[in-house]
Amino acid sequence: MTAIERYAAPQSLDEALGILQQGEVTILAGGTDLMPQTKAGRIAFKPTLMNIGRVAGLKGVSLDGAYLRIGALTTISELLRDPLVVQHAPVLAEACDQFASDQIRNAGTLGGNINNASPAGDTLVPLIVLDAEVELASKPNGSVTTRRLPLAEFFTGPGRTKRAANELLTAVRVPLPQPGHVARFYKFGTRPALDISTISIGIAGIKRDGALTDIRVAFGAVAPTPVRAPRTEAALEGRPLDAEAIAAGADTARDEVSPIDDVRATAWYRKELIHNMTKRMLDHVAQA
Amino acid sequence: MNVAEKPVIAAASLIGQRIQKKDAPEKAAGKTRYIQDMVVPGMLHAKILRSSRVHAKIKSIDTSAAKALPGVHVVLTAADVPDQQPIGVARDHLPLKGERVRSLRDEIAAVAADSDEIAEAALKLIRVEYEDLPVIASPEDAIKPGAPLIHPTPLDAHGRPQSLPPKTPIAFAGKPDNIAMRFDYTHGDIAQAEAESDVVVEDSFQLHYVTHCCMGVSGVIAEFDASGNLLMYSNTQVPFLHKREFAEYLNIDPSRVRIIQPPIGGGFGSKLDIYPFEVICIFLARAAKRPVKMVFTREEEFLASPTRQPVLLTLRSGCRKDGTLTFRQVHTLHDNGAYTSWGATTPFVMMQTFSSLYRVPACDYHTTVVYTNNPYAGSFRGYGNLQATFAIEQHMDMLAEKIGMDPLDFRLKNAQDAGEVTGQGMTFKSCGFKECITTAAERSDYRKKHADNIANRNARGPVKRGIGIASMLHVGGGAKIYPSDGCGTILKLDDFANVTLITGASEIGQGSETVLSQLVCEELGLPISAVTVVNNDTAITPWDVGVHASRTTFIAGNSAIGAARKAKAKILAAAAKKHDCDEAALDLRGGFVVVAETGEPVVELARLMRNLHFSDKAELVMTTFYYEPPSVHQDKAFKGDVSAAYAWAAQVVEVEVDTETGIVKMTKVTGTHDVGRVLNRLGLEGQIEGGVVMGQGYALTENLIVENGVTRNPNFRDYKLVTAPEIPEMDITFVESMDGEGPQGAKGVGEAPAICIAAAAANAIHNATGVRIFGLPFTPEAVYRALRGKSDKPHWPAWKPE
Repeated sequence: MTAIERYAAPQSLDEALGILQQGEVTILAGGTDLMPQTKAGRIAFKPTLMNIGRVAGLKGVSLDGAYLRIGALTTISELLRDPLVVQHAPVLAEACDQFASDQIRNAGTLGGNINNASPAGDTLVPLIVLDAEVELASKPNGSVTTRRLPLAEFFTGPGRTKRAANELLTAVRVPLPQPGHVARFYKFGTRPALDISTISIGIAGIKRDGALTDIRVAFGAVAPTPVRAPRTEAALEGRPLDAEAIAAGADTARDEVSPIDDVRATAWYRKELIHNMTKRMLDHVAQA
Repeated sequence: MNVAEKPVIAAASLIGQRIQKKDAPEKAAGKTRYIQDMVVPGMLHAKILRSSRVHAKIKSIDTSAAKALPGVHVVLTAADVPDQQPIGVARDHLPLKGERVRSLRDEIAAVAADSDEIAEAALKLIRVEYEDLPVIASPEDAIKPGAPLIHPTPLDAHGRPQSLPPKTPIAFAGKPDNIAMRFDYTHGDIAQAEAESDVVVEDSFQLHYVTHCCMGVSGVIAEFDASGNLLMYSNTQVPFLHKREFAEYLNIDPSRVRIIQPPIGGGFGSKLDIYPFEVICIFLARAAKRPVKMVFTREEEFLASPTRQPVLLTLRSGCRKDGTLTFRQVHTLHDNGAYTSWGATTPFVMMQTFSSLYRVPACDYHTTVVYTNNPYAGSFRGYGNLQATFAIEQHMDMLAEKIGMDPLDFRLKNAQDAGEVTGQGMTFKSCGFKECITTAAERSDYRKKHADNIANRNARGPVKRGIGIASMLHVGGGAKIYPSDGCGTILKLDDFANVTLITGASEIGQGSETVLSQLVCEELGLPISAVTVVNNDTAITPWDVGVHASRTTFIAGNSAIGAARKAKAKILAAAAKKHDCDEAALDLRGGFVVVAETGEPVVELARLMRNLHFSDKAELVMTTFYYEPPSVHQDKAFKGDVSAAYAWAAQVVEVEVDTETGIVKMTKVTGTHDVGRVLNRLGLEGQIEGGVVMGQGYALTENLIVENGVTRNPNFRDYKLVTAPEIPEMDITFVESMDGEGPQGAKGVGEAPAICIAAAAANAIHNATGVRIFGLPFTPEAVYRALRGKSDKPHWPAWKPE
C-alpha cells in the first residue's frame, strides 16, 4: 500500500551517499518519527527507502580536538549514558532524560531528532545554546565532500532544513566548554516524560563575577523552528545577574517570542511560561 | 513407642487474605489471547467508513470502486440493509446512516475484505457527497429557540411531516425538539427550607469529556452457522442483555444467538451498550456468509467509543449557622451528543448523591439531556457520581467556610448513619460513613495540614501545598434497573474434588474469577487452585444482568455461595450417612470432611466424591443457585431502595501547586472505604489504586478536546493518561461494616475509588491557593489562568424546559 519500490541498506557512507545522489530517497534511521508520520499520511515515502542503520562510522561519541563529536546514529539512550556527553555537555544528557519513553530513546537517533526539525525537538534547544554545528556529507561528483553549518541556522521551518536532498547528516560537533561555562535546559510538559514540549528553554554562557557573558538563549515550540533569542541575549549579556537584570531578561523573552494556539496550550500561556521559567532558570544560575 | 499424633485440620479462613488474581500470571507473561489475537477459519476483516462532516445530509454514496477492488467481499451502506433497526436506550440510532450524519463518528459504509489493509484501501475508494448542515456544538445552543434539530421529523414527498404510527422509534419518527431525556426529582419543601437557611451558595460547575482508554480496544467477530445461528465473540460486559437485543435486531429467536467473551482488556462501563460497529459486523457476516472480524484502531477507539457524560451543572445549597444542611437545588444540562446511550441516564446516580450522601431535608433535582453534534456519552465507572460529587463536595467546603465551621465537623454533622431512610427512599443498613471520614482525616493529619496550608498561602516560593477531602455514596449491592438484578451459578465437583464454577458473571479484569473462587473455597474447605471458573459463554453460563453498578462481588458472590452451600450440605449428608455420624457435627476443611469441633479428618473429600460416583446409587455433586437481591425498582418519582447495600468512602487528596506554571502535583491520597468486609485484600487494593489513578486523570490530565464536534486529540500523545511517575503515594484503609446481606459481609467497591478524587483535588487547590476552580480538568494552563484571574467562571442559570 506504499510507494516504496526499493529498499537499500548500505554498509558504508560512500555507498549511502551514492544512493542518495540518485535522488528520490527516504532515509530511515531509528524510525520513531518516520513510521508514525508516514502512517498518518503527513509525509509520503519516496520510491527508495534507505536504512542507514548499518552504515559504519555514524555511531558513537568521541573527542575531536576542541570538539565533542557525536555520530548521527547515536541513540538518545546512548547520549543519556555517554560519559563524554555527561562530562562535556551535561545539559544535552539532561534533555535526553526528558525525551519520550525508554523504548523511543532506544531506537531514536540524534540525527533523526535534528532532521525531523520539529519546533519542539528535545535535543535541538540545548544543542543550539551549546553552539553545535551539523556535518553534512554528499557525493555530488563521485567523491565525498563535507560541509558544516551552525545548528541555529539549519532549520527553515517545521520539518524543513537546509540539508540538500543528496546530503546525509553524519555528525554533530559541540565545542568543548570554556571555564565558567554554565548551561541550563527546561522543558515544560504536563508530565515528567512522554510529552511533547509546550515550550522549552535553553540558556548558556560563561559565568564570571556574578555576570553571564557569551550568552545563548534559545526557545523551543514558540515558532516554526527552534529559535535563538538575540534580544533576550542582549538584555542579559555582561550584566550582573541581579533581580533587575533577571526581570529585564524574562520580560524581553516574553516579548520576543510569538507562539501559536494549539491543543497543547494557548499563545498567551506559552508567553507566560517563557517569562516565568526564564526567570526561574536565571534565578537558579545566579544562585548556583 | 511410635505413635503419630492424631491429625487435626484447623479452620483456616481465606477471607481477608491477599490472593493473587487467577489470570495474573498469564496476563503478565503476555500469554492471554484477546480478541485481537483470535483467528476464526475463513474469517474476513472489516473496516467502517465514518463521516467526514460533523452534521450533513448525505446526497450520494458511491461504493462501486470499492466493490471492484480485488479482495473485497462485501461493501454495505444503509441502502443494503433496509431491515436495520435503531439501537440504544432511546432507539434513536441506526447503525448505518443513509440520509444524514449527525457526528463525526457516524458510520456510512462498511467493508469486509481478505485483510485489514484491503478493507482500509477500499474505504478510500468510497465517494460520499454531503450537504453541510449547521453544527450544534454545545447543549446551550441546542436548547435555544429555533435551534436546528438534530433528529428532525422526516418529510414526505410533498414536504410535509410524515405521519407515522405512535411509538415509532425516534430514528424514524424524529423529535420535535433537541431534548433527548429529562429527569425531575424532588423531596421536601424547597422554598421553606431555603427560607430557614442562614447561608445559601450557588455556583455552576463544568464537567468535561474523558474516555475510558481501555488497553483492549473495541472488537467483535460475528459468524453464522449453517442453520443461521449467530455466534459472536465479543468484549461486551452484558452478554445476556446483548443476546436478547441482537436477536431483536435480526428478528430471530434469542436462543439462536450465542455470545462468547474472550478475555476482555478493560471495560469500565464502555462495553455496556450495543454500538453500531457490532450490528454492522453482523450485517457483514450475514452478507459475506463468512466470519467477519472488526477491531478498532486506537484512533477509532478515541473517536467512536463512548465518553464520560459531560455536564453543566448549577447547584444551590443552604445550611443553618449551626451547620445543619437545609436544602439542595440542582439543574444540569447534559450534552447527549447525537445519539442516546447510557450517559443520558447518569441522573439516576447523580440524584442519589444530591439527595442522600448527606442528610438534607429538601432536594430538588432537574436534568435536561440535549442532542448536539458532539460524540455521545456512555456509561463510565462512577456513572455520573464523579460529576455530582465534584459539585456537592466543593459546596460542602464553601458552606463550612461561610459559617466558620471546620469542614470535617460540618460533614460529620450531616453524614448519614446506619438505619436512616433518605428522602429518595434509600435505606442504609450497614453504614461506616462517619468512620471513613474520621479515619481518612486522622491518617492524613487533615486538620493540622488544612490550617497550616492556609497560614502558608502567602509564604515565599512559588509552590503551595494543599489538602482537601471529599466523600462519596454509591450503590454497593447491585442496582435494580432491569427486571432482575440477579445472577445464576452452576457448581460441580469432579471425582478429585476439583470444582467447576459456572457463573453468569463476566470477568473484565476486575478480579471476579478470583473472588468468586475464594468464596466457594471458603465454603468447601478447598484451595483456590481447586476451582476452574467458566464465565464467558451464554450457551453454558446461567443468566446474569452484566458487569455494572459495582455489583459482581455482591450479587455473583452471593449466588456462588448459595451454590457452594447446597453442595456442602449434599457432601456432608453423604459423609454422615457413609461414616455413620451426625452431619451437623461435620465440616469441610483442607480437602477433608472433618469433625467440626476437633478438626479430626473423617474422609478425604476426593475419596468421598469417588465413593459417591462409583457406587450402586451413582451420584455426582452438582448444584445450582440463582440469587436475586432484596432491592426494589424505583417508582416514577425515582424513589425506592434500589440497592441491597450502599458503599461509602472518604478520600483526602494532597497537592503541590506551582503558581508560576499552574502544574498541580498530586502527592498523596489517603482513602478509607466502607467495603462491608475485606474479601481479597490484594484485589481490593488493586481496585482502589486503579480507581484513584482514574480519578486523578479525570481531575488533572485527561481531556478529550471536542471543538465544533471535532475531536482534536484522538491519541495517547495528546490525550494525557496519568503515567507511572505521576501516581501519588497512597494510604488505603478499610472500614468493615459487615453488611448483613453481603457475601461474607462484603459490599461492592468497583466504582467507588474514582469518585472523590476530582472533588477532593478542587478542595486541595483551594486550600493551597485560596482560588476555587469550578471546571475540570485542572490542567496546568487552566489552573494558571484561574490563579491569574484569567478564566471565566462557568455560568448556567437554573433552567428547565417548559
